[in-house]
Amino acid sequence: MSSLRFLPNPTHFPHLNPIPKHPPNPNPNPKPKHPFTQIHSALQYNRKPQLTGPTPRVVVITSGKGGVGKTTTTANIGLSLARLNFSVVAIDADVGLRNLDLLLGLENRVNYTVVEVLNGDCRLDQALVRDKRWSNFELLCISKPRSKLPLGFGGKALVWLVDALKARQEGCPDFILIDCPAGIDAGFITAITPANEAVLVTTPDITALRDADRVTGLLECDGIRDIKMIVNRVRTDLIRGEDMMSVLDVQEMLGLALLGVIPEDSEVIRSTNRGFPLVLNKPPTLAGLAFEQAAWRLVEQDSMKAVMVEEEPKKKGFFSFFGG
Amino acid sequence: MGVWSLQFNPPIFLIPHQVSTNALDFRPQLACNKTYQIWNGKSKYRSFLIRASANTSGEEDKSVKDEVTLTKLAKDGMVIIQHKVSRLQETIVSLPPVVFLVKRSPLSHLALGFCIAAAMLIVGVRAYVARKLRQKRTGSVADLVRRGQLNSDRRGISTPGMYDDPFNNPQVKISRNNTSVEMCGKVYKLEPVTLTREEQNIHQKRRSRAYQWKRPTIFLKEGDPIPSDVDPDTVRWIPANHPFATTISDITEDLAQNNVFQKHGVPFRIQAEHEALQKKLEALQSDQKLNNLAIDPGTARNFERPFKSNPKLEDQQQMEHNSKNGQTASQPESQSQQNSHESSSNSTYEEKQTL
Repeated sequence: MSSLRFLPNPTHFPHLNPIPKHPPNPNPNPKPKHPFTQIHSALQYNRKPQLTGPTPRVVVITSGKGGVGKTTTTANIGLSLARLNFSVVAIDADVGLRNLDLLLGLENRVNYTVVEVLNGDCRLDQALVRDKRWSNFELLCISKPRSKLPLGFGGKALVWLVDALKARQEGCPDFILIDCPAGIDAGFITAITPANEAVLVTTPDITALRDADRVTGLLECDGIRDIKMIVNRVRTDLIRGEDMMSVLDVQEMLGLALLGVIPEDSEVIRSTNRGFPLVLNKPPTLAGLAFEQAAWRLVEQDSMKAVMVEEEPKKKGFFSFFGG
Repeated sequence: MGVWSLQFNPPIFLIPHQVSTNALDFRPQLACNKTYQIWNGKSKYRSFLIRASANTSGEEDKSVKDEVTLTKLAKDGMVIIQHKVSRLQETIVSLPPVVFLVKRSPLSHLALGFCIAAAMLIVGVRAYVARKLRQKRTGSVADLVRRGQLNSDRRGISTPGMYDDPFNNPQVKISRNNTSVEMCGKVYKLEPVTLTREEQNIHQKRRSRAYQWKRPTIFLKEGDPIPSDVDPDTVRWIPANHPFATTISDITEDLAQNNVFQKHGVPFRIQAEHEALQKKLEALQSDQKLNNLAIDPGTARNFERPFKSNPKLEDQQQMEHNSKNGQTASQPESQSQQNSHESSSNSTYEEKQTL
């Protein structure tokens, strides 16, 4: 029932009955609890994930609302996949407002973009920027900030690009990640055109959830059925105080499988300033680890079976006062 | 007896300043009593207690009484051992409080003060070091400076580390019963996900009813006619001042596709521009030859008709002049031709350079 709240105009759909009505529940918190349920495969480490599905896996990372972390997610998941020895091409499809190159620290190496490729000013391989840290990661920008993309073949251009990447001499990349712009305008349509699956990034707030629900609907209308969500900027302290929706609440509203839950982390802004994605930080940060796990699940087309709900206070030693 | 035995327990005697005046009274007797020392051996304190119990009698009878007591002890030693536990308890009870002891001795004051000072020093040094480390670690804004995104001359350059082993991560630990996870030193409770496939399908149906949408396949400016073969639902109308709409592109769709798929060689536009330049150059060169013929002042002079006030007279003069200097008359023409040739070659050279 709660998901109805996020529909744009529920009054326009009087026949709409999104979820079968349950008998009135006196319990205000109807969420079923399974305290003794065994949690399987919460985290998987110490082995390389097994790639499932045909390559290249063309994944669009979208959200609807701006500022929820699409570009951060693209950068971190992309580099996580590269670290797991998969070849990745990240396409920044944000036409006028590209930022992925900044997050990756590659802004000084972008000389050519897709616009130049289409115009015949350069070849596609010249427009691909290879990351020096992980050579199996490449960046491709759609356009320069001040250039204009010819609109007539916006979506088709990305399809051609994907086809051209498939037919490369070096081999077909395992993953093509498309960083989608905010909104559902022409940029969104361009970005989702070649995609087979989608990662929906959202934050646990009501504005982002409404947009996410709408975007999910549009993706499903477009034939993209494999949609997983990443809940970003989760704060367990606020969830404990019931000031923030829990991840399970978000999932109940959107009804999407969980690819990852990224906790709020001050390291995100540091890594952005540094041009060094979180997942490469040493020691690893909380958000970086969560991105790694999300990348892991993306490879195996897996989803989360358990979520972190609350932080337990860690026991302090006798000498903690002295720093022990 | 109880009082004495309580006051002269061995742990207290070990510390000099804790010995009471009563204990000092007994000291000389203890030192002189060889029998006691020899006999007593290990159980020195025990006999001492007994002596303390007997100190109320006269000094003359003391030695005799001691011997008697000791012999009694030798017989009844076991009885005393049996009471060891009870005496220990009494001893513990009898211990004076720490504050009382401290108050009594200036040395203890010193030791306690030293300990407190040491503790304060450790805390202070630790706080100082932590602050120093915090100050030393510049923020990541310095990285913006390094990347040229922010202008500042005084910013430091940080050195990010590389975390390059995704397959062996010690930062993540899951409890044995899978109910909690420790990540980066923080422990989190885990709760299982409850979303079922049925619920997902219900949500999909809801959305499919709520959002009926066809992906636009064509973008038209407001006012453009809809092509006959296009579904009107798939037309995306954009305002005329939209950045996309204002973009004018001379590249056709086929050409753009070919450009994307090009793998080797010179890109299309570079080649096209090169060829266009080449053609232009050739055209310029050929044009210059024609222009030289037409505009060259040297050649133009040949066709120039001089001002003739009296043509007959001039003709006569010229005929005379030619008859006198038959060869010299042709020289200016040849010179002018040479000059014209040189000037034309110079002009073409200059044009080449500017191109």
